[in-house]
Amino acid sequence: MEILKVENLCKIYGTGETRVEALRQVSFSMEKGEFGAVVGESGSGKSTLINCIGGLDEANAGKVLIGGRDVFAMGEDERTVFRRQNIGFIFQSFHLIPELNVEQNIIFPLLLDYKKPDQKRVDEILEVLGLVNRRGFLPGQLSGGQQQRVAIGRALITRPALVLADEPTGNLDSRNSQEVMDLLHKASRHYQQTVLMITHNMNLTSSADRVFRVTDGRLCELGGVSE
Amino acid sequence: MKHYLDLIPISAKQHKKQDRMTRLCIVLAVFLVTVIFGMADMEIRSQMIQAVKTDGNWHACFVIDEEKGALLKERPEVENIARYGVLNYYLKEGYQIEGTETAICGLDQEFLGMVPSAEIVEGTFPQNETEAILNESAKIRLDVKVGDTVEMTIPQGDTRQFRITGITKDTSLEAEYDAFGMILNIDGFYALHPKETEAAQEELFYVRFRSFCDIQKAIREISAQFGLEQGQVRQNAKVLALMFQTRDSYLMNFYDVAAVLAVLVVLAGVFMITASMNSHIARRTEFFGMLRCLGATRKQVIRFVRREALSWCKTAIPAGVLAGVIVVWGLCGMLRYLSPTLFEGMPVFGVSYPGIAAGVFVGFITVLLAARSPAKRAAKVSPLTAVSGNAGTVQAAKRAADTRFFKVDMALGIHHATGSKKNFFLVAGSFAFSIILFLAFGTAIDFMHHALTPLRPSAPDIYIYREDNLNQIPKELAGEIAGYPGVKRAYGRSYAEFTLSADGSTVIVLSYDEQQFQWAKKSLLEGDLQDAMDGKGVLCVYREGNPFDTGSSVMISAEGKEKEIYVAGALGDVPFSYGTDDAGRGADLLICSEELFRQLTGEEDYTVLDVQLERDAADAQVQEIRRAMEQACGGGTAFSDKRISNREVKGASYSMAVFLYGFLAVIALIAFFNIINCIAMSVSARMREYGAMRAIGMSVRQLFRMVLGETATYTIFGVVFGCAVGLPLNRLLFRSLVTSRWGTPWSVPGAELLVIVLIMLASVCMAVTGPAKQIRRMTVVDTISKE
Repeated sequence: MEILKVENLCKIYGTGETRVEALRQVSFSMEKGEFGAVVGESGSGKSTLINCIGGLDEANAGKVLIGGRDVFAMGEDERTVFRRQNIGFIFQSFHLIPELNVEQNIIFPLLLDYKKPDQKRVDEILEVLGLVNRRGFLPGQLSGGQQQRVAIGRALITRPALVLADEPTGNLDSRNSQEVMDLLHKASRHYQQTVLMITHNMNLTSSADRVFRVTDGRLCELGGVSE
Repeated sequence: MKHYLDLIPISAKQHKKQDRMTRLCIVLAVFLVTVIFGMADMEIRSQMIQAVKTDGNWHACFVIDEEKGALLKERPEVENIARYGVLNYYLKEGYQIEGTETAICGLDQEFLGMVPSAEIVEGTFPQNETEAILNESAKIRLDVKVGDTVEMTIPQGDTRQFRITGITKDTSLEAEYDAFGMILNIDGFYALHPKETEAAQEELFYVRFRSFCDIQKAIREISAQFGLEQGQVRQNAKVLALMFQTRDSYLMNFYDVAAVLAVLVVLAGVFMITASMNSHIARRTEFFGMLRCLGATRKQVIRFVRREALSWCKTAIPAGVLAGVIVVWGLCGMLRYLSPTLFEGMPVFGVSYPGIAAGVFVGFITVLLAARSPAKRAAKVSPLTAVSGNAGTVQAAKRAADTRFFKVDMALGIHHATGSKKNFFLVAGSFAFSIILFLAFGTAIDFMHHALTPLRPSAPDIYIYREDNLNQIPKELAGEIAGYPGVKRAYGRSYAEFTLSADGSTVIVLSYDEQQFQWAKKSLLEGDLQDAMDGKGVLCVYREGNPFDTGSSVMISAEGKEKEIYVAGALGDVPFSYGTDDAGRGADLLICSEELFRQLTGEEDYTVLDVQLERDAADAQVQEIRRAMEQACGGGTAFSDKRISNREVKGASYSMAVFLYGFLAVIALIAFFNIINCIAMSVSARMREYGAMRAIGMSVRQLFRMVLGETATYTIFGVVFGCAVGLPLNRLLFRSLVTSRWGTPWSVPGAELLVIVLIMLASVCMAVTGPAKQIRRMTVVDTISKE
């Protein structure tokens, strides 16, 4: 089942001499439960791609369909609600809410929907993330690896169809990086969520179903483990 | 780039928005100080104009003889000297023109330059002993003109002839006591009143000292030189106080108030700028870490931050000063508009140099003081912070937000406000501070309203009264005068003295007509005014140890007849002074209706008749009222024209009102800008966090609610703190300033409270609107990727 479909995506920054084509006619699609990795040099357009897919940034041309719905056809408010219900974001620098504890950070997208979280589901995620004993801790009291695990929990709590991870291991050591990768794999395999991850580390692409390379805004598929 | 500090303008180009916020704080601090000092300066100027108009612009006067006078004239610090003598000052000595007591002044022509109120409006100064100047009302009443001759009767029974050479304006005293004023040259004065007589000792030498002279020192030296006693030296206290040449005047309180307020504004400015700079620094932690990483010492970082702060002053201080000057212009214009004749000497576009100097000085000092803490903070940034790339990612929170009782957006907003206790108390405290200041200064307005009686609607322009307190001004005269053109209304009071049966003390009973009862409504402390109006009882007037209780009856007697009267209520005060009993003790005063007065005394005519005139009433109309009075009342009835003295007090009260209301406006402005600034700072500091929340799925509306929650928390607590401290303070000040003197009980200052709370609410709306726009415009990607 096709979850993500990107069609002829173009993104241009600046005008005249400062004009930069960050994305050029990017097209690809991903199935449910697939794990994709995007690699590329700094400034090649990886983050722009993930930001456009997540609806954080507007594209100049092209379409992004998630679960068959065109992200750019939605209004700002609708897109925001769609994002929190259907897309999970994981950032390199975690972006946790410093005033919320581990559990509150994880259920934050549900709280934004003014929904009461399912406690069983929360406990399950905390268990999976290994954060049961840290549920009342504030982000400032956690290590980098633990913070990123909280961010993963927050991305998974709404059972989104698509998880977008922008260098999720960029700020972590190798042990924590591996833990994060394992969790993302679990999300993909166990919860059948589609994961698209940006990384610099080619080693981390070894376990991806599909690997894409972005060069000067153009995307090409390198293949993957499952192929 | 030749120096590491050259990085400042380059860095400023990259941080234009944040810089703008800090610059705005400096502009505000400078603006407020410029306005406060400019207003104090303006108040001094307007008081000076008043003082010169009423008291003259001389500095000191000495009671000395001619010989010493000549020596005094030679002293280097003396700029101008003039002799002055007065005869019949108390209008009882018998110097009369056509039966009217005449005050006679003998003076040198130079004296006219020192007392502008004695200005010659027509003709010239007398050149010989038989020439004289008359005041305007004497000219009208005697129907004479320059060149005519008037005859004066002197106490010895002789008469003297004087040729009129000029006319001067009436002084307030001449108008109030209905007297003539005559000015002779000094030779004419001595001819009329030889030096050998006892009064010759009253020869006064008025002196104006040169600029920048230490007047008190000069007076001490002159006193020592001539062996003068204290009573032989007089000072123009008000003018000297306004020149900062004395400390023993009530006016010095204005300087103290301005100084205290300026200190408070400086403190508010320091907090505002420090907060702004702190958030500016916090956003650039990595930048300073990088500087340290590249080898900058702590001292260099401190110097960088300080120099950066001073670079903001280049534009912010002139902008603040300019804004302050414009506001001071507005206030000057307002005074001129309120009382064009009194403040004609005040320039609308006058520049207050003390205000500008204070603004510039305070601007620099505030910035340097405010830069201390952020500079140290910046210097403390470890080089590792820059390398690790973690700076500012997670701000340390001490406890988690409570999402059980509020929705998550509101809960986060409340937590943003209360998360740091120190910050919460600082911000809510600063909100409360404005309310406290507003409520405390509000009592000064109440004091002003009580202290300056001519401002009351009942203040008369013409006051006709029986010197013997007999009710012999016909009641019909009030009706007749009220019908004259230029007369707004005329109303009288009857007078009777009774004895209080209980203790034998004197009780004065006065009658009020309906209009006076209406005016008395505001002073009613307790009881029912209507009962008094209907003649069912009387109103007593508050006095310490007052023997009357509202609702009870007392027995009073006159000429052996005892009467019981019911006390229907109590008034805080009355707009006139009233007599004392035989023992010199203040008598108690009861107010009743005209009908009840008639029943008590059998009399219905008045002892006092007040007349209020229309604004454009001419002097001829006043003379018509006088003629009507003379025809109806005959002798023993006095006529007092209070227009000039009313104008003088009104002028003083206008300038005081502008000054006090101006202060309140400045306090309100502080509250307004403080709220806007605090919220803008808080939002600006959290933009990255807001960006992350938007990325996760928080809508703009939810973010807006979050900011609103934060602002509302500060405001609610600020209002509660402010009222908790401000109301008792207001009560305390009101009791000591007003209740103790006029008996008016304290009540919750609803109007003041409403005004300041509305200002705060308006500020909150404004404070939230700016960040809301900022949030709406925010690009999530740019915001979260900003370092």
